[in-house]
This record gives sequence, structure tokens and C-alpha cells, in this order.
Amino acid sequence: MHNELKITDMQTLESNKKTTEEFANTNSLKLPDFTTDSYKDAYSRINAIVIEGEQEAHDNYISIATLIPNELEELTKLARMEMKHKKGFTACGRNLGVEADMEFAKKFFSKLHGNFQIALEKGNLTTCLLIQAILIEAFAISAYNVYIRVADPFAKKITEGVVKDEYLHLNYGQEWLKENLSSCKEELMEANKVNLPLIKKMLDEVADDASVLAMDREELMEEFMIAYQDTLLEIGLDNREIARMAMAAIV
Amino acid sequence: MFGLIGHSTSFEDAKRKASLLGFDHIADGDLDVWCTAPPQLVENVEVKSATGISIEGSYIDSCFVPEMLSRFKTARRKVLNAMELAQKKGINITALGGFTSIIFENFNLLQHKQIRNTTLEWERFTTGNTHTAWVICKQLEINAPRIGIDLKKATVAVIGATGDIGSAVCRWLINKTGISELLMVARQREPLEILQKELDGGTITSLNEALPQADIVVWVASMPKTVEIDTNNLKKTCLMIDGGYPKNLDEKFQGKNIHVLKGGIVKFFNDIGWNMMELAEMQNPQREMFACFAEAMILEFEKCHTNFSWGRNNISLEKMEFIGAASLKHGFSAIGLDKQPKVLTV
Repeated sequence: MHNELKITDMQTLESNKKTTEEFANTNSLKLPDFTTDSYKDAYSRINAIVIEGEQEAHDNYISIATLIPNELEELTKLARMEMKHKKGFTACGRNLGVEADMEFAKKFFSKLHGNFQIALEKGNLTTCLLIQAILIEAFAISAYNVYIRVADPFAKKITEGVVKDEYLHLNYGQEWLKENLSSCKEELMEANKVNLPLIKKMLDEVADDASVLAMDREELMEEFMIAYQDTLLEIGLDNREIARMAMAAIV
Repeated sequence: MFGLIGHSTSFEDAKRKASLLGFDHIADGDLDVWCTAPPQLVENVEVKSATGISIEGSYIDSCFVPEMLSRFKTARRKVLNAMELAQKKGINITALGGFTSIIFENFNLLQHKQIRNTTLEWERFTTGNTHTAWVICKQLEINAPRIGIDLKKATVAVIGATGDIGSAVCRWLINKTGISELLMVARQREPLEILQKELDGGTITSLNEALPQADIVVWVASMPKTVEIDTNNLKKTCLMIDGGYPKNLDEKFQGKNIHVLKGGIVKFFNDIGWNMMELAEMQNPQREMFACFAEAMILEFEKCHTNFSWGRNNISLEKMEFIGAASLKHGFSAIGLDKQPKVLTV
């Protein structure tokens, strides 16, 4: 294959010497100062989103159980776990002396919440699972994975415990969709087209606050895409189908 | 299973490749989108050795592009995420190709063992440097006589002598080839002195002093774009082996008697039937590949599941002999001068 660019135009490590130096200096992540007003201010919104997210997850799993009653026991277990997480994250805010801005968080989730409720009413299980078990869970896992690296010691421990659970949840929706892929693919694609852009918007909306907490927007998005792609691959979609679905995140 | 972790040679090239593979969301994306793109397992392939053994492997594109070198966090994530994917896929031995091994080493990624819920197992990865070093030495031994250079009388300069590959090449040249003189060039003096002591030979010198004396120059450091070299000062017949990454020597040295050879590239005895090397500027992409990639294949052929090349300055003569013998046995050979175009058209 012939490249349009000449190889000599290619970057070299030498021409990026500054990067190397920067790397050497910042290789160990610098933690933010958890006591500043600006940190606490940003934390009041991020913490609220997390608490609200866990509450939504709880409610959503209970609702999903009404569509698949024979899974009631399993879904109740998951829902209970989410409440445990909510308590943990509430403690994280308290530990830093921050009051979570719940009003902001409710508004933050309102569109996604609304779409979930509509799907629930119509009995669209696939859409419900996409919103909760794929999008919200992948969003949560990606945020937690990034947060763990820059969290205060108390929150770090709690978040690490939560992440272990969250991988189970992702797995739950995954398994159902995998088994029913042939009958639910079309709905999955449609629901994704509507809801994935919301996730992207939500990420953009918290980017500034997240960066005060030393959470990088680019890294958050990448983590999300990794979790999202992994789940879709697991469900049985191929690379091209996933590419088509992921497209909704950038248009 | 063997794995190869690679990347495109430029952002433009990466986009074109993504489009061909049907990854439209990133093909149409700007560099920011690429910075958030997960690594992709783009191809599975079965390879049959000259001995008849068959192995399976995967090519993982890290979605890193050289333009990301100025974003160190991004570069670090791209490499680690690709390694995580390789491990999650259960690949026994994966080679880090192109910039990925350079990033791994220079940016000290060894301290990042935990990636999400995966603990990276280093024994599943290899830099492939042992095979690369062996191939460069063979290229030197085979091609110098072809252009009339007598190794017994030759002065060889190694630029980047203290690096992982450079020091291995010096070790081999001193102990195995009977060359007349070895000139060692590197940025820092202290590691050069340590190497000289270990080898009990070789002369420490500067680039400008080394070049006019050398019959053969082995480049294992990527050449800064800013370095200007007066080709009139070079020896009349000179073999240049471009073992660095990216390979950009042929633009610097164009002259009748200057022979530039792409270093560290091997040719397989058969067509492999993969698409991935199309993307790595190989002249014969069905057979040619970076020696570091071939190392992962050789280790898989040999069922030698270990991080064969790892860390700095651990490449012994015994390891080079082992990988060299296995390389030949399974059907690889170092590419030579007659296969090279005088000037690369890319």
C-alpha cells in the first residue's frame, strides 16, 4: 500500500522530546487537593450524579422485573446492590463535607429517565436493557475506573468495591440480549440510535466538573467506548455492526 | 495463539484503513475521536511454518497514530489498552510493534500493571528486540560482502549503541563477526562506558567522527529530522542499515555508492494471506514483516510462551542464537539489498 505521506513526515520520538520529558515528570498521577472549594463545588454535582445514577439503576432493575417476572429474584438482588452503592457514594460526599446537588442530578438524568419510562410502558424490554444494562452501566464503569485513579483514599476503596459489582450488572443485560439477539437486534439498534447520543451529551455536560476532579474527558469517553464495545461484542454483534452503532456517539 | 500489536504510520493512513475495514465511526472522526477509540482486533490469521506446524494469531490495532506522541497520556493508554485486549483474548505471546514498544519502554509503562479489572501478565508480551537484533546482524553479515565490503577489514558504527537492540548488535559484532573495528555512538556517555567495559572492546565516539570512518553504519536510534549529514564525508562505498523506527534514512542518504537497507525486516517463505502488513509499508506485504512481529510467531511455533525480549539490555548471545536458529527453521529470512528500491516511493 502506498502512503500519501512520506515516511519522513512521520513523527519520531525525537521530535516529541517534550512529551518524553513530560512523561518522566508526570508518570505517577498527581492527586488533586480534595479540600479546596472548587474541588468540593465540582464534587457536589459529580457525587450527586453518581448517587442519582445508583438510585435510577435500582429503580430500573425493579421495573425491568415487571417485564420478566421469572427474573424477579435476580433483578431484586441487583437492585439491592445498587442501593448499597448509593449508600457508599453518599458516604464519600459526607467524608469530604460536600452536600450533593440532587436537583442538578435529577435534571441530568431526566432525558434518559424519560426514555426508559416510555420503553417500560410499551413493554420494550430490549430498549430498557440497552439503557440500563448497557449504556448506564458502561457509563458508570467508565467513570468509576477513571475516578479510582484520582479519588481520595476513602472514596477509592468504596469505588473499587462498586466496580467489581458493576461488571456483574453489565453481564446480566449482556446475557439476556445475547440469548435473544436474533429477535431483538433491530430494536437494539434503534434504541441505541436514540440513546447513545444522550450519553455523549451527558459526558460533555460533566466534563468541566470532572476535570476539576482530575478526570480527563478524553479518558472518560475512551473508557466508555471500551466498556460499550466489549458488551456489544459479547452480545454477538460483529465489528461492523458495532462501528455502525458507535457512530451515533459522534454525529 | 500469537498476537501482534501495531498501529498506522499516520493519521491519514489510519482513517483510510478504518474506512476499508468498515469502522466508519472512527474513519470519519477527527484526532479527538481517535484518542477515545478502543483498540480493535482487526484480523485473525493461520500461519504454517516451513516445518509444517500451524499456529493461529491475531492482529490488534492499538488505534495509536504517531500524531498522538505529543499527547503522552493518550499514547500510554493506547498501548496499555491494546495489551489488555490481547490478554483478554487469551493470546499467549504478543509482540509490541512500531511505536508501541518504544512507548512502553521510554514512558516506563511497567508500573501500570493494573488495567481496569485486568492485571497484565508481562510474560505474555515481548518487544521482539532479540529477533530484530539478530536479523540486523545477519543483514550486515550477508549484505556487506555483496557490495564489496570485507568484514575482516570493516569499521562498523552503531548509532544508538546503548539501546536494547543497539547493545545486542554491538555484542554480536564483537563476539561473532571478526569485524576490524566497532564505533559506538549514543547520546549519553556513561552507558557507553559501561557497555565498552562489558564488551571489552569498541571505541566510543561521536556521530560526526564515526560516519567518515565507517564502512557500515547501523542505525538503531530514530534519526532526528533536524540532523543534516554531508554525504560527501562518507566512505565511497557504504552500507547503511536502517534499524530504527520510523525508517527514514533513505531520504537522508541518497548517493551512488550508499546502500540503504531497511533493517530488522524479515521475509516468510510463503504467502501468509493476511491484510495487516499492507498497512505497514512493507514491499511484499504477504511475506514481509517487522522482525519483532515475527518473534511472536516464532515463539508460538516453538511453544515458548515467555516474555523472551523484555526490559533493557537483557539480550544475550545465546538468546540471539536461539531465536535466529528458530527463525530459519520456521521459514524466515532477513531481507537483503537486492530486494530494496534505491529510493522509497511512499
